Amino acid sequence: MFHKYVYEIPLMNKYWSIHGDTQPSHKEDPRLHAILDMIGKVAALDFSTTLSTSDRNDMVDAIAVGLNMLSEELNTSVVEKSKLDEVNTKLEKFAYTTAHDLKSPLNSIAGIVNLLELTIRPNATSEVADYLQRLKATVDKMKNLVQGILEYSKADAEKIERIETDLNKVFFEIVETDQFLQEVKVKIIGLLPVVFFNRSAIYQIFRNLISNAVKYSDKEVCELQIESTEMKDHYLISINDNGPGIAPENHDEIFKLFNKTSTTKIDSHGVGLAMIKRILEASGERIWVESSLGNGATFFFTIKRLKTFNN
Amino acid sequence: MVQLKETKKIRFRIGPDNVLYTECFPNTLMTLEDGKESTRISAELVNFQPRPLLCDLTNVVKMTQECRRHFASAEHAATFSRAALVVTSPISRVIGNFFLGLNKPVKPTRLFTNKEDGLQWLMEREPK
Repeated sequence: MFHKYVYEIPLMNKYWSIHGDTQPSHKEDPRLHAILDMIGKVAALDFSTTLSTSDRNDMVDAIAVGLNMLSEELNTSVVEKSKLDEVNTKLEKFAYTTAHDLKSPLNSIAGIVNLLELTIRPNATSEVADYLQRLKATVDKMKNLVQGILEYSKADAEKIERIETDLNKVFFEIVETDQFLQEVKVKIIGLLPVVFFNRSAIYQIFRNLISNAVKYSDKEVCELQIESTEMKDHYLISINDNGPGIAPENHDEIFKLFNKTSTTKIDSHGVGLAMIKRILEASGERIWVESSLGNGATFFFTIKRLKTFNN
Repeated sequence: MVQLKETKKIRFRIGPDNVLYTECFPNTLMTLEDGKESTRISAELVNFQPRPLLCDLTNVVKMTQECRRHFASAEHAATFSRAALVVTSPISRVIGNFFLGLNKPVKPTRLFTNKEDGLQWLMEREPK
């Protein structure tokens, strides 16, 4: 039911109408139309409009000035971000090309070092044998770095083909193939789910998180606990370790490419976590860590449930 | 020693309380050029020794992005120890809030809706 309203409006308030059906309507100030148009344009990232102001210096003028300044600042941010994105894309292409070009000569060097070792057959305790081992280790390190960069560059959602993947099978495959120098105890809480994801990508994610936990472990026995929680649209997978923990200020840093936040002398290229974050985020998933120094770390990541795709 | 100076847009004055007072004339549009001129004159007036600044923005109707950035820079901050910005009109309030929120001046800066409160805040924190 509608009520009739009648208003007595003071003359100085020239924007209120005299009567209305349900509520007071405005005799619209043309500046408000311009403001609405401007908001629409800014929302569409069109920053070409500037609102003019009157000489009243009233609230509408203040809103117009505020919008003009917001538009200016947003425009600057958008331009800066697009420049940054362009530079990043070029850098990634450059890293990929360089890594790709280095792969072949590095393989040649590795082959030549092996040939050299076979040819001179140094005494196992001699300095030459020690130098050769160091040379081989350095070449392997370089090859791993190059491979890491190549894999990082390829971690692109468009190239990821999804299939039904049983995480239990992936986990046991890693346990069977990876050899660790220290004792590792893994506890899986319940059964891990079957997910709809790229198999080799999920293998890389699991392998990377497990090998990191082992690599950075400061205990005699590295204890891992893997758990999956079923959420509304996705599974939340967590991998907890009893390692040295990660300081809160490094929780974001460790996921950046070539990050070197570790204070230990662990041999790391800073590619692995950056790569798995890129894989997951490119697929609309998330990864993060919860940890404090001395209390181990728990890495969490999400994977959409099968029914989310089926629906 | 000169205690008072004026440009087309701003009046500068050193008070007996050792505070640098700046006040914009009506309908002032501040550009980067005006901002730089303001820094230069302020620096000369304070003899390159930072002092408390009471800046009345009430009459400013526009401040360009470049000018806001300049006023938030270390170069301009060298002229004052802390700044009280007086904003009594709607437009100056928006400009002041933008300046504090987005440009983040390097020295303590606060907005006030009257000169007395601004001056009191400046004097409370000024070493005797």
